[in-house]
Amino acid sequence: MKIKSLIFDVLYFIGSIAILLGIWQIITWVTKSEIPGPFKTLLVFGDMLKNPFYDNGPNDKGVGVQLISSIGRVFLGFLFGSLLAIPLGILMGSSKIGMRLINPIVQILRPVSPLAWFPLGLLAFKSAPSATVFVIFITSLWPTLINTAFGVSSIPQDHINVGKAYGFSKYKYITKILLPYALPHIITGLRLSIGVAWMVIVAGEMLSGGLGIGFFVWDSWNGGNLEKILCAILIIGIVGLLLDRAFSSLQNRLSYDKK
Amino acid sequence: MTKSNIAAFVAPNPIASTTSAVTIEKKPTYSIDVQNITVSFKTPKGIYTAIKDISLTVKKGEIVALIGHSGCGKSTLLGTISGMTQPTEGVVIANDKVVKGPGPDRGIVFQNYSLLPWLSVYKNIFEAVDSVLKGKSPSEKKAITETSLKMVNLWQHKDKLPSQLSGGMKQRVAIARAFAINPSILLLDEPFGALDALTKGTMHIELLKLWNLDNRNKTIVMVTHDIEEAIFLSDRVVVMNNGPAATIKEIVDVPLPRPRNKKDIVHDPRYIETHDKLMSLLFDKFSIDDIHMEE
Repeated sequence: MKIKSLIFDVLYFIGSIAILLGIWQIITWVTKSEIPGPFKTLLVFGDMLKNPFYDNGPNDKGVGVQLISSIGRVFLGFLFGSLLAIPLGILMGSSKIGMRLINPIVQILRPVSPLAWFPLGLLAFKSAPSATVFVIFITSLWPTLINTAFGVSSIPQDHINVGKAYGFSKYKYITKILLPYALPHIITGLRLSIGVAWMVIVAGEMLSGGLGIGFFVWDSWNGGNLEKILCAILIIGIVGLLLDRAFSSLQNRLSYDKK
Repeated sequence: MTKSNIAAFVAPNPIASTTSAVTIEKKPTYSIDVQNITVSFKTPKGIYTAIKDISLTVKKGEIVALIGHSGCGKSTLLGTISGMTQPTEGVVIANDKVVKGPGPDRGIVFQNYSLLPWLSVYKNIFEAVDSVLKGKSPSEKKAITETSLKMVNLWQHKDKLPSQLSGGMKQRVAIARAFAINPSILLLDEPFGALDALTKGTMHIELLKLWNLDNRNKTIVMVTHDIEEAIFLSDRVVVMNNGPAATIKEIVDVPLPRPRNKKDIVHDPRYIETHDKLMSLLFDKFSIDDIHMEE
């Protein structure tokens, strides 16, 4: 029974990929091969994967080097963002005053396009890579902050009463009641944050230049290599999917009611 | 001139009252002394008074049931004793101290068990013990947790999460948790309301067993809407009026000797008499004809 459903999963996946490749091929025919077809692209992809980590100076590096640089920046910005967003979210969620003071700031800053912060980052850090990390930091703040605040503010009265009735200390309340309850919400926030951060990194690196998957896309466009752009799109998509899956499995593992 | 006269007249009084025999004699005999409690809540529609000017005393080791229709403020009254609800007027004295908030001398069992779903059965009790009995060593705390779980026959389920337990088992964990911190007063808020009739019966006996094991030293106040439960368990039944601004309608003594046998007492004429009395206090209309006449 389990094997049967696994086979079906695989078949559906192959079907889905076939549809994607089919549409792609049609577009290639329609545009008279102005957009490279899947076969040609995959050949280039194979070439790129043969030696992804080559390094021929500042303007010619393998796609693996670019990718690792991007992932590093995303995680650095995401880490700083989460380190600020989670405590701030807990503060917002657990105190009415905190909520009323911080919420308006969040509401004003959240809709701002992350790229609008780029010049400020440049000004503050005097370096394009740091400015990119700063943009990721700003991007990953909001979903985590809002979800954490929501999680903390929705702790059921029953759970709060247990802490009151048995005189839990602040520390015990936070570690045994607040965090376990809010954790699934916090991880949902982190999952959304890393998703947005991964989207923003490409645009950020197009602005910053130098190194990274976003720069790689822009560089390939300037070099007139459309196959490479399509490969990069595939890589960006797959890495994004893997990041999302990683957080979703973390979510399943850490939520108490799923066990 | 008049001022000084009054001062001279009033001055000796505080000394007299603190030394008077009445207050000293009165206090230690009561485990709980509810004095003229009024509880009002602010609502969008205005101020809602749940209970008004209620006074009640409970002796040490006594089991008292608060009974009334839903929304009559019986849980609110219990809340003022536990310290979860602050009275708008009046004071509650528990164990000779004015209640200002929840305290380890008063164990609470909530209606919906209130176990923390991410902690195992064992941890649920241990965290409460760890929080309340600060002076004990870790091994003593573990021993207390173990004893209380064995008391309710749940030791073999200690590693399960609450979601893996039945309703009756959850409530046994909640009761074990309340007993583990060894409070002198136990407050139960509709503890068996969510259980089926058979489990409920077993739980009544379990509760009395625990109370007996402790030499009937614990004072128990429980909220219920079940007349049979109130009679079987308690020494006195406090019948409350319907809210808003609910008051005590009448306090009915239960003249049944302990230990009580669930099967036998229902035939006891004193049981039947108490049951009838509570029924007529709780329900004004008995016959179905009344409903037809209203239509």
